[in-house]
Amino acid sequence: MSFMIPEKDWFKAPDKGEKSWIAIGFIWCLVLFFSMPIWHIYGKQNSSSESYRVKPEDFSARVMKFVETNSIGKDGNTPIVQPKPGGHAYVMGGGYIWYPILKLKKGNEYILHISSTDYQHGFSLQGEAGINMNFQILPGYDHVLKITPTTSGTFNIVCNEFCGARHHVMTGKILVED
Amino acid sequence: MGNENTHWLERLMENPWMLLILGIVVPTISYTVWGVYDVLSLPVAPLP
Repeated sequence: MSFMIPEKDWFKAPDKGEKSWIAIGFIWCLVLFFSMPIWHIYGKQNSSSESYRVKPEDFSARVMKFVETNSIGKDGNTPIVQPKPGGHAYVMGGGYIWYPILKLKKGNEYILHISSTDYQHGFSLQGEAGINMNFQILPGYDHVLKITPTTSGTFNIVCNEFCGARHHVMTGKILVED
Repeated sequence: MGNENTHWLERLMENPWMLLILGIVVPTISYTVWGVYDVLSLPVAPLP
């Protein structure tokens, strides 16, 4: 028989030994629970981000204004935009491109807004020194990150969430100068 | 069932319908409803 129906009044209060194991199990749960915020603060691997609701057309209009006022050149057809140190920077995923290319100064903090105008995308920032940061980007949500580049160079952005026929060409760049 | 002297945990474990209800209600409230509330309560982006 795979299981048996126990006799009535089968429940017995835990004895001393069982209580010790319950206590050890509970304490370990607390250790694991508090290790998450502690690692978040001291591990320096998890990013703190904020999310807001935004209409894709409003975000797109803000990106166009950002490009218009801060553009310093072009890489092919894609504008290179240099935000003010400490200021807001915008990157938009849509139409199989991360737009525009950002040019940042090493050691300065920026408030980076990322959103999508069409589908769900995966913002995957990759560069030298093994940098690999990934964020889910959804249309209708402004994903806000405070970033301080600590290494100069070229950082590539790829889309790592399948988004359609030209997902494989969806790339972007962040340039960091000394 | 129904024995006043039976421990409440035993009565609960012997009641599959109550276990089914708790198994649906608890994750629905703590996961689904909380998640929907969290998404709907997001503020509008100021886009400074």
